[in-house]
Amino acid sequence: MGKKLGFFIPELWRHIFKKPATVDYPFEKLKVPKGFRGLPVLNTELCIVCKACERDCPAEAIEIRTILEEEKKFQMTIHNDRCVHCGQCADVCPTNAMTLNNEFELSEPSRWNMKFRYAYTRQLRKKSDRNVDEKDKEIL
Amino acid sequence: MSITIPIGPQHPALKEPISLKMTFDGEIIKDADIRLGYNHRGLEKLFEGKSYVQNIYVTERICGICSHSHTTCFVNGVEKLLGIEIPKRASYIRMLIGELERVHSHLLWLGVAGHEAGFESFFMYTWRDREIVMDILEESSGNRVHYAINTIGGVRRDIDETQRTRILNSLKILKERTDYYKNLGTTEPSFVARLSGIGILPREQALSLCSVGPTLRASNIDMDVRKDDPYLAYDEVPFEVSTADTCDVLGRTVVRIKELFQSYNIIEYILRNLPAGDIKAKVPRKVPAGETVSRYEAPRGENIHYIKSNGTEKPERLKVRAPTLANYPATVAMLKNGFIADIPLIFAAIDPCICCAERMVEVKDTKTGRAEIKTFDELKKYSRDFYKNHKKIKKDTVWPF
Repeated sequence: MGKKLGFFIPELWRHIFKKPATVDYPFEKLKVPKGFRGLPVLNTELCIVCKACERDCPAEAIEIRTILEEEKKFQMTIHNDRCVHCGQCADVCPTNAMTLNNEFELSEPSRWNMKFRYAYTRQLRKKSDRNVDEKDKEIL
Repeated sequence: MSITIPIGPQHPALKEPISLKMTFDGEIIKDADIRLGYNHRGLEKLFEGKSYVQNIYVTERICGICSHSHTTCFVNGVEKLLGIEIPKRASYIRMLIGELERVHSHLLWLGVAGHEAGFESFFMYTWRDREIVMDILEESSGNRVHYAINTIGGVRRDIDETQRTRILNSLKILKERTDYYKNLGTTEPSFVARLSGIGILPREQALSLCSVGPTLRASNIDMDVRKDDPYLAYDEVPFEVSTADTCDVLGRTVVRIKELFQSYNIIEYILRNLPAGDIKAKVPRKVPAGETVSRYEAPRGENIHYIKSNGTEKPERLKVRAPTLANYPATVAMLKNGFIADIPLIFAAIDPCICCAERMVEVKDTKTGRAEIKTFDELKKYSRDFYKNHKKIKKDTVWPF
């Protein structure tokens, strides 16, 4: 192949008449694909407090506290300032109570605004479900 | 007369902190000394305190560009310790993401090479085309950079039919664009003149200095872990090891462009021959005691993870040898007898990822040369005392201009 000066010029010329490849971000947003791993959200109605998410979270962003043992009241704090959005909590959740939504604009002026607290009463489990969960404890 | 000039730790030519102590005679480099340790993050200590499942995500954060390489290397090693075989579909999806990652990494490098050679529009175009791969990765894994597709025993997400057709359609555009860059890289005389003949690493030297990846292959040595020691299902996939015989930065560019075409072919093969079945095998949380070494061909070269297990949920030791570390001795050899103006280009040609290679920091007394082991509190006290003594000098310093 012979060496040719100005090989790039036709390409540059064509790009003058092309639309920009970027978008004006705050005014125009790109579509988030299906299955994007955004903000972790807890559905308190489904949570059985098995603490699997707390155990497997690599960033230690999930904290479950017992408020009242007799009334089965618990509080889950999701530290979104620590969250790395890996989605392991959603993967390990036996009841699909934890999900990751589409939100990606998560910046806040203070990290204390990023701690989400959920206070809830633990849902009772069916006996058949319990057997499955115990099996799951042994195998990942 | 020779003079010594420090380049870095903070320097506009370097993207990450590293110290290059250069000895020059006029404009020619006579000696180079690379000093690491400015970007140490203590990751290997962190691995010991986390379970195997958590460690997948920690190993992913060793590097932002070859994130999938590190997790696959780690997960392959753990599966070797567990003695399990992962489903075939899972290993094909792992290979698919790995090859897509190679494409994005090489396109990124091409842009960086253009930028360092002063070809800014080349940099802009390659990075625009890289977005196609990034979009594919985001769609199939859920994130642009940290894909988190691996789990012990398989993968976390499946590839469906719509994704499959989309990737195949995108590949056509990528192939067309890469073909254009291939012609450009060999035709544009100013670009070729800037890259050829600098950073020479002869074949014998490349072997004796144990360089890896495209740096080694550009010196006409066909070594590739995918071919030499196949992991996953690379023994079933037809591909060739790309080499070049010019032994310079132009050769490294050519190797990467050739590898891009090989990767497109591998991706096409994987998508056309994707086996049906499960994507994940059930595995126990505890890993039996033992040790293993896992190898992986990352976009930058051979990546090695050493895993030692003690029968618990957490690894006893996880040692990471990132490809950049193996390329440092070769970089010193390449820099010697080169020009000052070529330093950024030669250094960028190994595709350095400095924070990947930072594995340990040694506290050394500069006067006696003795290394010491110190606790964190002792180190804090030492630094406080050090700055107390140096305060006066700093305060009275007069700006030389």
